[in-house]
Amino acid sequence: MPGSFTFSSLPKQPVPLVVVSPRRILADLLSKGWVENAIPFIAFVLVAGGIMLTTRDYFGATNLLNLAQYATDGGLLVLALLIVVAVGGIDLSVGSNFAMSAFVALYCFHILGLPTPVILAASLAAGGLTGAVNGVLAGLIGCGALLATLGTMITVRGLYTLASQARLVEISTSARVDDLWDWIGFERWLGLPVGFWALLIVAACVFVMFRQSRFGWHILAVGGNRKAARHGGIQVKLTIFLAYLLGGLVVGLAGFLYAARQNSVGSDTGVGMEFFALTALVVGLGGFVPGRGAVLSVLVGFATVYLFNNAMINAGYRGDFVQLSMGAILIVILAADVKFRKNRHRLLASTYLDPVRVDIDGVKGMDGLMPHEIRPKLREAEILAPGKLDGPEDVILDADGNLYCGNRDGRLLRLRPPDYSRVEVVAKIGGRPLGLAFDPEGRIVTCVAGMGLLRVTMDGAVELLTDQTGRSLLSVQDDTTIRMADDLDIAPDGTIYFTDATKRYDIENWGLDLLEGRPNGRLLSYDPRTRKTRTVCDNLVFPNGVCVTHDGKFLLVASTWSCSILIFDLANAAAGPRVFLSGLPGYPDNINRASDGGYWVALAGMRNPIIDQSMKYPALRRRMTRRVPPTNWLFGNLNIGGVLKLDGDGRIADALWDAPGGPLYMITSMREHEGSLFMGGVTNNKIGRLRLENADNGWTGPKSYWGEG
Amino acid sequence: MLFATRRSDPPAMTLEGVLGPNTRLDDAAGIAVDAPNAVCVIEGLGLLFSSGSAVLAIEAWDARPTPWAVFDDTVTAIGGGPDGLVAVGLAGGGLAVCDRNGAAAGWTAPAAGPAAIADLAFLPDGAVAAVDSGYGPGDDMFARAPWDDRARGSVTSVRRDGATRQLASGLHCPTGIALDGSGAPLVTLFERAAVAELSGQLRQSGYPAYPGRIRRTDTGYLIACLARRDPLIEFLKTERDFVAEMKQSIEPRYWISPRMHPEFSHDFPIEAGATRLFGEIKPWAPSFSYGLVIETDERLVPTASAHSRANGLRHAISDAVCWNGDIIAVSRASGEVLRIGAGGTVQ
Repeated sequence: MPGSFTFSSLPKQPVPLVVVSPRRILADLLSKGWVENAIPFIAFVLVAGGIMLTTRDYFGATNLLNLAQYATDGGLLVLALLIVVAVGGIDLSVGSNFAMSAFVALYCFHILGLPTPVILAASLAAGGLTGAVNGVLAGLIGCGALLATLGTMITVRGLYTLASQARLVEISTSARVDDLWDWIGFERWLGLPVGFWALLIVAACVFVMFRQSRFGWHILAVGGNRKAARHGGIQVKLTIFLAYLLGGLVVGLAGFLYAARQNSVGSDTGVGMEFFALTALVVGLGGFVPGRGAVLSVLVGFATVYLFNNAMINAGYRGDFVQLSMGAILIVILAADVKFRKNRHRLLASTYLDPVRVDIDGVKGMDGLMPHEIRPKLREAEILAPGKLDGPEDVILDADGNLYCGNRDGRLLRLRPPDYSRVEVVAKIGGRPLGLAFDPEGRIVTCVAGMGLLRVTMDGAVELLTDQTGRSLLSVQDDTTIRMADDLDIAPDGTIYFTDATKRYDIENWGLDLLEGRPNGRLLSYDPRTRKTRTVCDNLVFPNGVCVTHDGKFLLVASTWSCSILIFDLANAAAGPRVFLSGLPGYPDNINRASDGGYWVALAGMRNPIIDQSMKYPALRRRMTRRVPPTNWLFGNLNIGGVLKLDGDGRIADALWDAPGGPLYMITSMREHEGSLFMGGVTNNKIGRLRLENADNGWTGPKSYWGEG
Repeated sequence: MLFATRRSDPPAMTLEGVLGPNTRLDDAAGIAVDAPNAVCVIEGLGLLFSSGSAVLAIEAWDARPTPWAVFDDTVTAIGGGPDGLVAVGLAGGGLAVCDRNGAAAGWTAPAAGPAAIADLAFLPDGAVAAVDSGYGPGDDMFARAPWDDRARGSVTSVRRDGATRQLASGLHCPTGIALDGSGAPLVTLFERAAVAELSGQLRQSGYPAYPGRIRRTDTGYLIACLARRDPLIEFLKTERDFVAEMKQSIEPRYWISPRMHPEFSHDFPIEAGATRLFGEIKPWAPSFSYGLVIETDERLVPTASAHSRANGLRHAISDAVCWNGDIIAVSRASGEVLRIGAGGTVQ
């Protein structure tokens, strides 16, 4: 009974172009990596906004350039501190070191009269020396970062006071002028102060170091977990030493730039700088976090503190009041940030599931075929290989009658006729094979959950065909990766059509997709000639089984949670699906060809009035997932399933059920072969074989698809 | 009372500790009985248990059950009293009081008795206290009780002369009665999973199962449990719209509720964890039916338990008594009288 339906007369299945849901957008945003920095960034925006509202022309070009000019040394100090904190240390000596480097620069310039590049080298050397001392004490000897840098802070400050008192008059009375020195101190390059360029370049270098370089990764590893880093073969002490040294060099550069700009130092130069830098760091990182090289966040934190401080002082507030309000606001920012970080995952978990109302057609076309109305025909089925399999989601037979099925442990298995009792391993895939199909060359193409579409040859070679498709329209979350490739079929022209059942859940959590009820899946195609993957139709409700019709012109796709079967016209798939059959009594899984021109549909589970009603209550389902333990969630009845026989026009002709407690309770796939029907189930450990009456005993799947050859 | 909403009941007991799962009910020896419900020990006679509208008796566990009396309606309760008196409650609300041999003991039928008798007990004053759960034989108590807000259960005392007096009313689905050490009646409340005094004051609550009958033992009480409490059902009690639509549009047999039988049907709802694996029901799977007998001390705190888990068949334990040192229980799901063995009280 081959199909005689007219495609254009079938009802159209509406498919949303985009799924819009505020909760989903929130959940997708929360699962982005950069959302970690949300609070410091929001704080920065609020501070900037507040200043904009209260201070006229604060963000004018002149003031911004001025701000940039003076931001350099603070910004560099924050970066220096970031490097040291990232390795798990702390550097209290940055302020003293900064002052000392500035003094060295001025001394070299005014008293020794050295050329500017040499002065830069001297400043870096001075900064680096203090950094090296810190590194030796805290890193190599292991004196403890706080103690060591406290010591250097006091010592260097003492040295600086002695030296600057002795030479300050001489420096301030010097009349030396140098073009390069002044250019560095006062001029602009491409519109920005030279010093600010230095800050930007150093920030970029540190950013790249943490992102890309081996040394940067070592720093983060040591800061994240010193013991693990040592076990991983990282030279921990050397890394710490080098981090302090690098921090010292950056401080040296800051001192040099300060000296070039100010041309003088005072007794209070650099005093309190370490606390200013620490504050900016803590605001940016949301706490004192070792092992995190977040350059951008730290600079945002620095900008927040710097602008706030600057605006308050500009507005004429007293210094102590500025400090007081700054402290209070910082505490608020930090508290919000810590709370947010702590609860982000919880918030994400509670917003991820996003149910929607689903109205499913009532059961249709099953009169006299329901399990309580007819004899359970599967009771007569023979059980093959009991206990030797684990979850054969799909079964397929080659022309010689060998049966292939996937196994939960990631292997593709073969069972040989006639008794199908011995299990052989065809290939180890690594992921769980779900749908299977033979290509014209007799190789098995399989959908593997979490891996994508793979091809297996009979000698066990596994080849990945595709694991990515184009990104969905307007998706916040990158959904290019195929998350749950489920079933496939191959059209006469060789194009492989396969389903990605859900883009939002993994195979362990596919049940949540039922509770969500949203169109989260998609139909994809892969052309082996061009090796291109295309999204044929996005936003389908759990598209599951796929079957090319006998004439090769149409494609049947089971939509599991909507209990319906959709049909695509392969000549014009972009026109979207129509409904081939709806109102099924259960959740359809795979669809396969029958010898008489009809189709077999596996029912993985059965609908019941309660779950159908609950699909109309999305808020209830969401509350349930939050308040009821997962094992107690209301669910479709997956303990009873069966096989439906459709004729070529999509009418239900017969139904095969097992007895209520029977062994073939949940059926996810079935294949007809030479007058027998072979059935597998994703939670079963056996395969059923039923002799069919009135079936074509010569019919096999490979012949139906690829002919006798 | 600004913070009144923050108060919450103590958490319900979980199936852990002395209530931890075991297979004592599944391992127990059993006598297959057609439609059993109540069981009772009569001094000098042996064990009486109901089978449909008949009451059978055995002198010893190995003895063949002999018919003791037959009534014209389904027997729903048996209670033993002084001088060998036996009170038998019938589904339609009828009450028969017999002597040791099953013959009528000359009690006058009460003028206005309860609608249905869920359990019976002889009070110290010689009257019989009959518990009316509020659900008649045609009502599916298991399906309806969780979704019923009305507390229409009552306890009525019936005297020899037929005079009746209502001892308590406004109880929510009482299913069992026993006298405490001081002779005051205690009732089990099925849906509230609690034991209460006749005033409605809860004596002990938070049991992990919906109790059937309660019986006094030497060391405390035996509570026979009809089904396990289920977090999904407890949750749905807060979903009023959903429940209203369910009651309106779905037959009670498909409602989400505790069930008597662990049967499979394609149109019953299940919970996510109840999915079979390799065709087997996981013993730890959530299930709407369950078999549980709880032994408690004098303060009604559990001291031991006997289970038939999700994969067992001996569910819906309606009654349990101590007889010759053994616990005897009735499983309505499997249609058996079970001998669980010595009380498993663990000190």
